[in-house]
Amino acid sequence: MESDLKKLPKFAVLQLSGCAGCEVSLLNASEWYDKYDLVYMPLVVSTHRIPDDIEVLLISGGVRNDEDAYNLQRAVKLVDRVIAVGTCAISGGVTNLGDRDDVREIFLSQARRAHLPRLLNKTHPVDAYVDIDLYLPGCPPTPELFMGALLDPQGFKAASIVCAECGRRKLNDMKPEHITGFQIADQDPTICLVNQGFLCVGTSTRGGCRAPCTRAGHPCVGCRGPSNAFIEKESTVWMENIQRVFERMTNIPPAELNEALRSPQLSMFLFQFSDYAGGHRRIRSKDKVL
Amino acid sequence: MTTLTFPLSRIEGHARVVMEEENGKLLTAQFQAVELRGFRNFVVGTPAEQMPVIVPRICGVCSTAHHVASVKAVEKVFEVTPPPLACQIREILLLGQLIQNQATSLFIFTMPDRVGVESLFDMDESEAARKAQFSIAQQALRVRKLGTDIISLAGGQFIHPVKAHIGGVTGGISREAADKMLEDLRRMLPVACELFNAYWDMSVAMKERIGTWGDDEPTYYISSTMSLKPKLNSGHMRVLSPDGEEKEHFTPEEFEKRLEFTQTEYSYAGQTSYQGHILRANSLARINITSAFQTPLADSYLERFRASFGSPAHAILCFDLCRGIELVYAIERVMELLADNLEHGETEVGYTPRDGIGYGLVEAPRGPLIHRYVVENGLITDAQFIIPTVHNMKAIERALMVAGNRYIHPGTINLELEKAVGRVVRAFDPCISCATQ
Repeated sequence: MESDLKKLPKFAVLQLSGCAGCEVSLLNASEWYDKYDLVYMPLVVSTHRIPDDIEVLLISGGVRNDEDAYNLQRAVKLVDRVIAVGTCAISGGVTNLGDRDDVREIFLSQARRAHLPRLLNKTHPVDAYVDIDLYLPGCPPTPELFMGALLDPQGFKAASIVCAECGRRKLNDMKPEHITGFQIADQDPTICLVNQGFLCVGTSTRGGCRAPCTRAGHPCVGCRGPSNAFIEKESTVWMENIQRVFERMTNIPPAELNEALRSPQLSMFLFQFSDYAGGHRRIRSKDKVL
Repeated sequence: MTTLTFPLSRIEGHARVVMEEENGKLLTAQFQAVELRGFRNFVVGTPAEQMPVIVPRICGVCSTAHHVASVKAVEKVFEVTPPPLACQIREILLLGQLIQNQATSLFIFTMPDRVGVESLFDMDESEAARKAQFSIAQQALRVRKLGTDIISLAGGQFIHPVKAHIGGVTGGISREAADKMLEDLRRMLPVACELFNAYWDMSVAMKERIGTWGDDEPTYYISSTMSLKPKLNSGHMRVLSPDGEEKEHFTPEEFEKRLEFTQTEYSYAGQTSYQGHILRANSLARINITSAFQTPLADSYLERFRASFGSPAHAILCFDLCRGIELVYAIERVMELLADNLEHGETEVGYTPRDGIGYGLVEAPRGPLIHRYVVENGLITDAQFIIPTVHNMKAIERALMVAGNRYIHPGTINLELEKAVGRVVRAFDPCISCATQ
C-alpha cells in the first residue's frame, strides 16, 4: 500500500476449482500486505495473466477440469516456490465425489457441456500434475497459518496435533459404550469429545489451527490432515491406530467405529493420505507440510 | 460475425462473458459459468446430520448461509423447532456474513472500477483516495474483517462455521465477548459510513464520466426479507412486480410451483424465471421491498437513496449503493442484538431423527437461498440447492445486452465495453461456486 510497494517480492494466487474459502482466509491475514506485492489473484486483482517475475505462487482448489490442469502446468513454469494451500489442492478435498465410481459416472453423464472446460472424472490434487515445495493443509488454513507459510515457513511450528490446542480434559474413567451421534445438548464443554463418544479425530490431526471446531463443541473432522506421525504412512496404519485410541478411551465396539470412520465428513482427512481410494501418489515428506 | 470473450475477475469463482455481434449489431450476450464440482451428486448417501459440516464447502464466501440453510432443512425433516435464543444467534451469524460480503463487494470487487485501478491495493494511489485523506484500503479491510469476527464469535470459525446445530446452536455468547465485539462495532460504524460516503461520491463521479447508472427495463424482484427491519433468518419468499407491488409471498416448500428453472448448453449454472418474467435478487431486491430498517443511520441512507432513485429503483448500479446501505444496517442491527442477553437460556433442544423432505430458507447476501433434502433411513437420497445467483442469471444477460448495445456500433466496438461488462456483472455480485456447486 506504500509507494515503494513495487520493490516488494511479487506473489500470485492461482485459483483452481474450489470454494474461495482459502482466498477469504488469506484476505483476513493482514501482515503480508506490506511485505508482498500481490500481482495476480482473480478474486481481488483484475489481471488475467500471471506475470513472469513472481517469487511465490499459492495454489488453491483442486484440478476438476482440463482448464484447471492447463492453467496449473503453465503457472508453475514461471515460479520457483510453489505452495499448495487448502484441502482441495492437497487431496481433491470435499469435492472429489468420495470414492464412489458409480456416483462419478452419473455426474459426468449429466454434467457435460460441449463448449465448456471438460470435466475430469474426479477432482485431482495438484501434485498429481506438478511438484510442490510446501503444503499448507486446512479447510481453510487459518490466517495465522497463511502467515506462517508466507513469511516464515522454516521458523513456524504448528502444534503436533489438534488435542494440544483443544483445552478439553481427557479422562481415564469415562468410557462411552457407543458413538454419541450428532446430538450435543448434553455435551460437557470441558471434557474430551472422544470421552463423550463423539467421532473426533483431533488425536491424529495436524495442529496449528487453534482447534476452533472442538472449542465450539464440534468434533474435529481432520481437515488439517494427518499429523507428522502418520503423514508418511499409509491410511491403513492410521485406521489401526485410531482403533487403538478409541479402544483405550471408550468401549465402543470396533465394528461400529470402523463403519463410522468411513463417513463422508471424514473424507477431507482420509483423502490426504497419498494411498487412499487408489491414490497411488508419491508420499509427501513431513518436512514439506506446514 | 465477431465473438468477443471477456474473462471476469473480482467476482467469486470462474466465469466469462461471451458476446456475438454481426455488422455492428449485438446478437447474443451469454454469462458462462465454467466450473462445476458436483455437490448435488456426491452428497447422496451422506447422513443428513453431516450436511451442515459438508455443504458450507460449496462456497467459502457464502459458507455461513449454506451452514444455516442446511441446519434448517434438516430441522424441517426432523420436525424440531430451535429455541428463540438459537434463532437470534443465527441471525447474528447471517448479519456477520452480510457485513463481510457487502464490504467485500463494495471495496474489493467494485470500488477499483470507480477510480480505474486494478485492485483495492492500488486504491490509495488514486486521486479519489487522496481526497479521502485516510487509507481506504486499510480501513476497507478492517470493516470487512469486522464481519468475519462476528461470524467467528457466533459460529466458531469465520469460514465453514460449525456452531449452528440441528436443534439450535452449540452455545450462547458470553456478556464479556459480546461487550468486546460491541466496542469494535461502535468504533467501526463511523469508519464504514465514511467509506460508504466516499464510495457514493466515487459512484456519482463515475456516472458523470460514463453517462449512465446502467439503465435497463424494470424487472420483478425476489427476496425473503420483510418490509420492516429485514430479517435474514427468514421464512417466506416474496415477489415484487416491476411497479413495486407485492405480487405474492410463499413458503420455501412452494418454490417449485412459483419459479421456473432452465438449464443452458453454454453454462454449468441454470437460470430462474418467474411466470416467464426476468427476476432480480440481491441487495436491490431487498431495498425495493424494505419500507424502513428501523435503525437510524441505515434509514437516513435509505432516504437519500430514495430521493435520488425513487422506489422501486431499477438502475443496475443501484445494486452497489444498496450494498452500502445494508452494510450500515447490518452493523447497527448486530449492535442491537448483542445488547440482549445471549448467554443464559436454552440454546439447543434434543430431537429424534426421522425421514422425510425438508426445506431450509435463509436470506443470503445474494438473495433467498433454499436447501431441499430428501432423507431416507437417515441418509440423503436427493439434495437441491436453490441459489440466488441463479435467480439473477437472465437479468445479468439482459443487462449485458443493454451494455453491449451502448458500445457496439456498425464499424466500431468501443473498448469501454470491457469495463462495462465488469461493472454490470459485479453489480449483481454473482457467486459461481454457489451457482454451479
